Order: sequence, then C-alpha cells, then structure tokens
Amino acid sequence: MAEVELRAVTKNFGKVAVCRGIDLQVADGEFVTLLGPSGCGKTTTLNLVAGLEDASAGDILIGGRRVNDFTPFERDVAMVFQNYALYPHMTVAENIGFTLRLRGIGRAGRRQRVAEVAESLELSGVLDRLPAQLSGGQQQRVALGRAIIREPQVFLFDEPFSNLDAGLRIKMRAEVKELHQRLRVTSIFVTHDQEEALSLSDRIAVMREGAIEQYGTPAEVYARPASKYVARFIGSPPLEFLPGRVEGEGGLPVFRVGAAAFPLPLRTAERLVQGAQTFALGVRPEHVVLSPAGIRATVRLAQPVGPATFVTLAWEGGELVARVPGMASFAAGSAVHFQVDREEHLMFFDDHQGRRLATE
Amino acid sequence: MAGRRVGRLVGPSIVVVGLALFVVITIGPLAWLVISSFMEQQALTTRPPDFSAASFTLANYTGVFAAAAQLGQGFANSFLVALFTTAVAIAVGAPAAYALARLELPGADAILLMILGTQMLPGIVIAIPLFIVMSHLGLVDTRSALIIVYLSFNLPIVIWILRGFFLAIPRGIERAAAVDGATTAQIFRLIVLPISLAPLFATGVFAFIESWNEFFFALILTRQSARTAPLVISQFAGQYQTVFGQMMAAAALAIAPVVALAVLFRNMIMKGFAEGMVKG
Repeated sequence: MAEVELRAVTKNFGKVAVCRGIDLQVADGEFVTLLGPSGCGKTTTLNLVAGLEDASAGDILIGGRRVNDFTPFERDVAMVFQNYALYPHMTVAENIGFTLRLRGIGRAGRRQRVAEVAESLELSGVLDRLPAQLSGGQQQRVALGRAIIREPQVFLFDEPFSNLDAGLRIKMRAEVKELHQRLRVTSIFVTHDQEEALSLSDRIAVMREGAIEQYGTPAEVYARPASKYVARFIGSPPLEFLPGRVEGEGGLPVFRVGAAAFPLPLRTAERLVQGAQTFALGVRPEHVVLSPAGIRATVRLAQPVGPATFVTLAWEGGELVARVPGMASFAAGSAVHFQVDREEHLMFFDDHQGRRLATE
Repeated sequence: MAGRRVGRLVGPSIVVVGLALFVVITIGPLAWLVISSFMEQQALTTRPPDFSAASFTLANYTGVFAAAAQLGQGFANSFLVALFTTAVAIAVGAPAAYALARLELPGADAILLMILGTQMLPGIVIAIPLFIVMSHLGLVDTRSALIIVYLSFNLPIVIWILRGFFLAIPRGIERAAAVDGATTAQIFRLIVLPISLAPLFATGVFAFIESWNEFFFALILTRQSARTAPLVISQFAGQYQTVFGQMMAAAALAIAPVVALAVLFRNMIMKGFAEGMVKG
C-alpha cells in the first residue's frame, strides 16, 4: 500500500508562498500528473513529496505514515529528474547500481540486479558507457533504470521529457505508460505539457499559482473544466472565450455573440440569467461542425495538421475554431455555415471569476 | 554592406591587438629574465645591452650551481612548504566550500564575508604581530611557520573559488544522490569530488604557485634553515655588487617548476577554470 496524501501543505520561500494549502490524494498504484505553467508550484510540490524541500506547514503522508521529517531515502521514493541528473563520472551500470552500492549490496548482487533492469530498458549494450556517450533517449532510460532498481513505493517524475525532441518524447511517453502498467507503482508526474498529462494520467491536478485549480480524470478536466484557466490550459489549440448575452429569438433562448446566435437549452438559459454576472462561451473545436443549416461565417484561416484541419471561422463580433477531419482545404474568405454539435458542448464561464457554469 | 563588413573585422581586431598587448606585457619580463640569465654581467650593464654572440654564456648557471647547496635547500623548503600548504588548503577548503555552497548553515553569509575580510588586510599590517606570535611559539625560521601563514591567505581564496564551482554543479545530480540514499558526506565524497577534479586541480595549482612565489613573509619569518627559493635568489644581490646574471639564472630555475606545472597541466587548468561547471 502506498497511497500519497498531501494535507493543507504550504511552502514559503522567504515571503513568497509557492504552495498555498495543497490537498491531494493519490491512490495506491495511481498515476497522477501535476499540470501547470512554469512557476505554478508543481515541481516544488513534487520536491516536497520527495523530501528535497521541507514543507512550511501541512502533512505529507506516504502509505499512511506522516513522512514530513523523513529523508528522501526513508520515504522510499524514486525520482526521475528534468535533466536526467545522471552521475557524469559513473558508467551506466554504476549509475543504475549506485543506490544498491549505498545500501551495501555486494558487487555480484549489484551486477545481477543492474543486468535485469538494463535488460528491461534495452540498455544491456551500453552498460560500460558514460552518460555523455549516450543519446538523449538512452540517458532518459538510464534515469528510469536508476528509479526502477529501487523498487520504491512511489515514482516521482519531474518533467522528465522536456529535453527530448518531439518524436522521442512521444516514444518515451509510451514507455513510461507501459512501465506503469507493468509495475503499477504509485506515480506522480510533473509536466507543463497538457497532451502528456492527458495521455499518461489516471488523474490530473491542474495547478495555478501554488494551488490546485481542478483535480479530476483527463476526461473530466477536458470536457468539464472547472474554470477558464483549466479550459484554456487543456486542449490544443487553446480555447477562445466569446462574451455574449442571452436573448430570445423566435420564442426560443439563444446566446448571442455579435451576429451569431447559439441555441440554448431552456435550463441553461435560466441559469445564465439568474445572477447579475455576465458569461463567456467556449466550445472545443471538435464540437464545432460545418453544416448548411448553421450560423453563417467566413473562413479566416485553415491549418491542416494531418489527421485534421483547424479552421478559424469569423463572423461579425466573434470567431471560433472548428476541427474538420482530414487534410481539408478552405479558401480564406469563403463563406461557410457551422453549428455546435450538441447543446451540452456549450461551456459557459462567468466573466468575473472565470468559473464554469455547471450545466450538467 | 561594406560598413558592416568593416565592423565585423574591427571587433575581432581590437580583441586580437588587446590580447597581443597583454601577452607582450606578461611574457616580456619573463623573456628578458631568461635571456639575461645567459648573458655576461658586463654585456647586461652596458647601455644598450650588448647582444652580440660573445655576450652569451652559461657561466651564470655554473655559478648558481656552485652555490647549489644553498639553492637546493631553498628549493626543497619552497617545495615542501608549497606542497603542504596546497594539500591542507584543498583538504580543508573543499569541504568548507561545499558546506558554504550547499548546506543551509546559520550565518553562512557572515562566515563568507569574514573569510573574504581576512583578505582585506595588507600583509605589512600583520607582519610584525605575526612575527611576535611565531617567535612566542618558537616557530621562527621553521617551515611550519610558513605553512601556517600561507594557509591563512590561501585557504580563504581556495574556499571562495571552490564554492563558486560547487554552486555551479547542477543541483539535480546531488538531489538524485540524496534520493538514491546518499548522506551529505557521501554526496560530497562520491559525487561532488569526483566530478570536480579539474577545478580542484586548478585551484591546487593556484595555491601551489602562490606559496612557491611568496617572498615577503618568508623574508620576515625565516633566517637560515627555512629560507625559500625566492629568498636565496634575492641574495645574489650582494652588499657590494648585484650579480645580475646569476640572479636571473637562479630566478629562471625557480620559475621553471611552476611554468612546467602550468604547461603540463594546462588543459586541466583551463578546463577547471573556464568551464567551472559540470554538465549533467
């Protein structure tokens, strides 16, 4: 059992509060990602779990034990660092086996364990090389090997792929996911890459200015973001927000954004007009479909990316991005009609605090 | 276009001229030292010096070797003093520098300032008190006195230089070692020291040369048995006559070891001082 729990954890550096009361539960065997832009406190949070920083207040529990006063080693965690942090003067075998050496395990025992781990990571051929003689991907695997050989209760990853090129990053992402499926070790992964977070995680904690803005499954944070901040941070291209107001049109409620009128479910319309707040509309590109019956707009820009084409549609007073399957071609300035595929895909955020209006 | 091309040439030219000037100023006296060590006293003292083939001789060196017993003793003293000073400065300075770079010590900044403060006093100010202390301790004219004094000004510099190197080591490496289960002492011994060999060596060479060349305190604190090479050389300037050629020959011999040290290990020294950090 190695669930990880943070209870009202804060961390101050001088007068700067980097973590402001973080509550987080990671179940045994779960893969959780801390996602956010640089400076949001995600790496500091990870360091607090690792024991590389001391919490200013709050409790950190690993496997039900309070570990605030434990050294990193006593916490039984293994960490993969951003720049691999391999020991440059040691061979691959020595790097992977360093922790066993510190534990007083003999040369023969070390060699056998290192060989096993190296085998599983396809590093058997490079055990005698120094880190500088390895490719980026190999260095990354050595860093993984150093973590795996510990058989720790918890894996911590601090933006481990940020130094890799795009192709390798996707390959390593798959390797880490497979590794987690094989070992089922509780893992906390820090990244600023939303796609990485979505593809790897059981749950994602979206962080903002030292606090968790939303904690949920990838599907939840993507489809039901708690706020504008989360909605914009997750998803590519980033969501645009369209300020507008509720009106009646032919006896039916619509949300009017300039010249465009989006039909609304009655219940949503009621909620939108209840308070004094104003709202902005957000729609994910895949929910915007071209349809002759829809709202009239002109094509401002078409960006084919392979499996899909992102088409920026503009009308008087607003614009939206539609995701059209395949490599479609659109002439800039041509007229099209669009609509939102289902009414529940209209997301409304209050303009003041940025919270999403619950319409479920 | 033409203007930019000229600009592109002017920048580097200034650098080249500047560096050339620096080299001439630095090498000039050394070159003169070596040349004059091979010249007759008379050729040296005429103005302008006489550079004809007949002026050159090996007599200065044979003269110096005639006084070899004295000079040999001076070299031995210099070598032992410099070696001990360097060894102790590195052995004590490296852990101190690491502690000041990485451990959260209360008052670390104050300690650093105090260490720097010891460098503020001109030597002449402490010379007399130092002599009195050494004579009370019965250490005047001993190598120990010189080692103690040289440590007092080498150690702070070693600490400051090494602290800079240790600060430049990517933190992740040490953190990884901590997560792997290493204590602070193990991190220092098994990770930091092995990857800092070049800076340690460069700093060591620096401390060695400082001690080897030191003249002032050696003059004050030694009389006969502990005299170092620079002192012995200076005695070629006698009471009635300065034997320039021999003095130069002795000086050339004295700088030979440090020049050899610098040339032999120049790659390591440059690596140590220029990189100053280890890439992870």
